[in-house]
Amino acid sequence: MNMERIKPHLPWMTLVVLVVIVSVIDPSFLKPTSLLSLAGDIVPLFIMALGITFAIYIGGIDLSAQSMANMVTVLATIWLSSMGAWTAVACVFVGAALGALSGYVTTRLLVPSFISTLAVGGTAYSIAQWLSGQRSVSMDAALRDSTFGWMISRTAGIPHELFIAAALLLVCWFIERRTVIGRNLKAIGAGELAAVASGVNVARYKIAAFALSGALAAFAGLLFAVKLSGGAPNVANGFLLPAIVAVLVGGTPLTGGVGGVVNTMIGTLIVAVIRASMLYLEIDATQQQMVFGLVLICAIALTIDRAKLKTVK
Amino acid sequence: MYKLKNIDKKFPGVHALKSVDFSVGKGEIVGLVGENGAGKSTLMKVLYGAYQPESGQIAMGGKPVHFSDPREALAAGIGMVFQEQSLIPNLTVMENIFLGNEKQFSKAGLINWKSMGVAAKKQLAKVKLDIDPGTPTSKLSFAQRQLVELAKVLTLEERVAGDLVILLDEPTSVLSKDEVKLLFSIVRELTSRASFIFVSHRLEEVMDISDRIYVMKDGAVVDVVTRGQSSVEDIQKRMVGRNVDKEYYRERRQKSFDDTKVLLEFDDVSLPGRVQNISFKLHAGEVLCIVGAEGSGRESIIRAAYGMISPLAGAITIKGTVLAQSSPQNAAEQGVGYVPRERKIEGIVSGMNVHENMTLSQLKRFTTLGVIKIGAERALAKDWIKKLAIKASSELADCGNLSGGNQQKVVLSKWRSGGSDIMLLDHPTRGLDIGAKEDVYEMIRDMSEEGVGILLVADTFEEAIGLAHTIMVIKDGSFRKHFPYAPGQKPVPFDLLQHMI
Repeated sequence: MNMERIKPHLPWMTLVVLVVIVSVIDPSFLKPTSLLSLAGDIVPLFIMALGITFAIYIGGIDLSAQSMANMVTVLATIWLSSMGAWTAVACVFVGAALGALSGYVTTRLLVPSFISTLAVGGTAYSIAQWLSGQRSVSMDAALRDSTFGWMISRTAGIPHELFIAAALLLVCWFIERRTVIGRNLKAIGAGELAAVASGVNVARYKIAAFALSGALAAFAGLLFAVKLSGGAPNVANGFLLPAIVAVLVGGTPLTGGVGGVVNTMIGTLIVAVIRASMLYLEIDATQQQMVFGLVLICAIALTIDRAKLKTVK
Repeated sequence: MYKLKNIDKKFPGVHALKSVDFSVGKGEIVGLVGENGAGKSTLMKVLYGAYQPESGQIAMGGKPVHFSDPREALAAGIGMVFQEQSLIPNLTVMENIFLGNEKQFSKAGLINWKSMGVAAKKQLAKVKLDIDPGTPTSKLSFAQRQLVELAKVLTLEERVAGDLVILLDEPTSVLSKDEVKLLFSIVRELTSRASFIFVSHRLEEVMDISDRIYVMKDGAVVDVVTRGQSSVEDIQKRMVGRNVDKEYYRERRQKSFDDTKVLLEFDDVSLPGRVQNISFKLHAGEVLCIVGAEGSGRESIIRAAYGMISPLAGAITIKGTVLAQSSPQNAAEQGVGYVPRERKIEGIVSGMNVHENMTLSQLKRFTTLGVIKIGAERALAKDWIKKLAIKASSELADCGNLSGGNQQKVVLSKWRSGGSDIMLLDHPTRGLDIGAKEDVYEMIRDMSEEGVGILLVADTFEEAIGLAHTIMVIKDGSFRKHFPYAPGQKPVPFDLLQHMI
C-alpha cells in the first residue's frame, strides 16, 4: 500500500480511531443522547466549514467566515422585528454579496484571497460593532420562537439543526457533483490554467465560490442568532480556526481540486470529537485554540499537494 | 577536461539522451546545436547537474564525479549563464554577483559594502564592464546584465581550485550585432580562465566562436565538427536531415483545401512583445504551419488567435466577425479549439477523469438549468474513446494517469466533439512516441478532410513540411516568407532555415 492510495481514506480512518480512543477513555461518550447533543452543537461550525470548503476547493481561502457570522447575528436580531421570516433570506443574501465582493477583489483586482477575505471580514466585523453599538443585542423571544423556533426544536429527540445540516450538505453536495458550477470549481482547483485554456470563465466561477462561502457563513450566523436569541459582534469568535481545520482534516487540501463537502462533514466530526475529548480531559476553553492551531498545521502539512507549489511565502 | 561518456537519460515515454559522449578541453569553446527536441537542453541540464543521467560516466579533470544538484556542479567549477537571466533586478550589481557568497564580506552578520564593491569591481573588470557595482541591476541594459551574469559565474575562479567550465545558453538571442561581437571577444579572452560550452540556434554565431561543434539529433550526437571543416549548410543538413518517410505524415491524404472559405484572418496584427504586422488567412481544410525559431513569436500568434493575448494593433477575424474582445471564452464559443504546448498544465486537468476533461470546454451542451447530464457526458466520452482508440481503463480514468499520447487524444477530442472547426495546435506531438505521433498526424488529416482549418506550430521542420499546405516563416516577430502549397513541390528544410536563422 502506498501513501497516495491511503490518503483519500485517512479522514474517516482518523475519525474511527479517535472515536474508539475517546469511547475507551469515556464509555458514556457513545450514548445516543450525548452523541446527539454533540452533533447538534457542532452544526453552526459545520455550516461555516461547508462554505469555506468551496473557497479552499478552488485553491483559495475564506478568512471572512467568522466575521461574516458575527455580523449576521447582529443583522438578524435587528431585522427580525421588521422582516420576520424574510430575515433569513436577507441575511443569506448579504453574506453572498459580501462573499462575491471578496471574489471580485480576488479575480479582478488580483488580490490573493487570504487578503481580500481578511479585509472583507474586517469590514463585516466593523459593521457588526457599529450596528450593535458594541453591545449584545437581543431578539424578542416570542417573535424568535414563532419565526425561527423550528430551527432549534427537536423531533423524537433529534435536534432540528441536524436536519438543517443534512439538507445543506445535500444541497452543497449536489452543487459540487452535479452542476456546472461544481464541475468548473473542480477544474479550477485541479488545473486552473487548463480551465482557462478550455474557455471556462474562471473569474466568474471563483466569484461564485466565494459567494457560496459567504452565504453559508451568513446562514451559520443566523443559526447562532436564533440559538442565542440575539447577537453580538463577537459571538462566533473562535470558530474560524476549527472550521478551517474541519475542511483540511476532512481531506480538502489548501491546494484545492480534491475533497469536497462530504469530506468536510467527516472533518467536522473529527473536530467535534477532539472538542468533546478536550472537555472530558478538562482542557480549558481558552486553551482549545492551541490544540486546533497544532492540528491545523499537521493537517496542512499532511494534505497539501506540494507538486502544485512553486514557492511558499 | 570535463568529459561525459555514454550518457543516457530517459523520461516517461521519451529517450531524451542516447549514449551521448561529450567533452570540453581546457580553454576550449565548444558549440552545441540541434533542433528543438533534439536533446540540447537535456544535455545542458546534465552538464550543470540539474538532471542525473540513468547511466554513463562523468569525469572532471580525469576524476569521476557525480552531481546530485547544480550546487555540487558549481562547487566543482561548472557554472551556468542562464538564457532567462537569473539576476534579481531590484538588487545592486554587486549584491547579485555575490548572491549566496556574501560570507567573505561579512562580520557578525553585517556586510562590509566597501570591500564587496572593490571585489565586484574586480569581477566586472574580467568582463570589461566599467559600471558602478552599486547600480541597481534593473538600470542595466540587457547586454550589460548578460556580462554581469558572466562576471558572477567567474567568481568561481576565486572559489574553486581547478578548471572552470561555463555554459552559455542562448546568450545572444536578444543582443544586437555589436553586442554579440563584444560578448564573443570577451569570451575568447576569457578562455585563458575557463572553458565554454555555447548553446545557440544561431548557427553562424556558433560556427564563428566554437572550436568544435556537437550536432545533436533525436537525443544523440550525430556529428562533431571541428572549426573550419564544415559549412553552415552541412551542419544544417545533419541537424535536420533524416530519411523522411512520406507516409509518416500521411501526405497521401493531403487534399487541396477550399480557398474560398476563410475561417480565421489576421490583418496586420501586432502583439505585445516582438510580433509585428502579421497577416494571414486560414481556410477551411487548410493546414497552415508557422515556422520560426524558439522565441520568434510563433506561440504568441497562436495564443492571440485563441484570445489569450489581445492585439495592440490590427484585427483578428473569426468566420467573418472581428473579435471585439479577446478572451478564450469568446474564441471557444466561435468554434476555436486550442491544443496548448504544455499538455499537462494547460491541456488536461489531471485529477479529473476523461469525460470531465472532454466536456470542460462545452459544459453548456450537457446541462439543463445548470445541472449536468452525466449520462450524456459519459456516452460522449465512451464514443470518442472508441473513435480515437484512447487507451484508458474507462471514461472514469483520471487523465493525469494516461500516457502523453492518450492525454493529447483527450485534448483533441475535447474540441472535436464540441464541433470546433478552427484548431490551433501548438507542438501537438511534443514528447510523444512515434506511434502516438502518427495517431496525431492521422487526426490532423481527418480534421482537414472535414473542413477544419488548422493553425499549427510543429515540433520539427519535417513535421511542418510534411503536414502543411502552407508554411509561414517568421523571424524575430516579423513575417519572412510564405510557402504556398503545390502538390509534389514541398519546400525542403533548408529552404525554411535560410529565412529563420
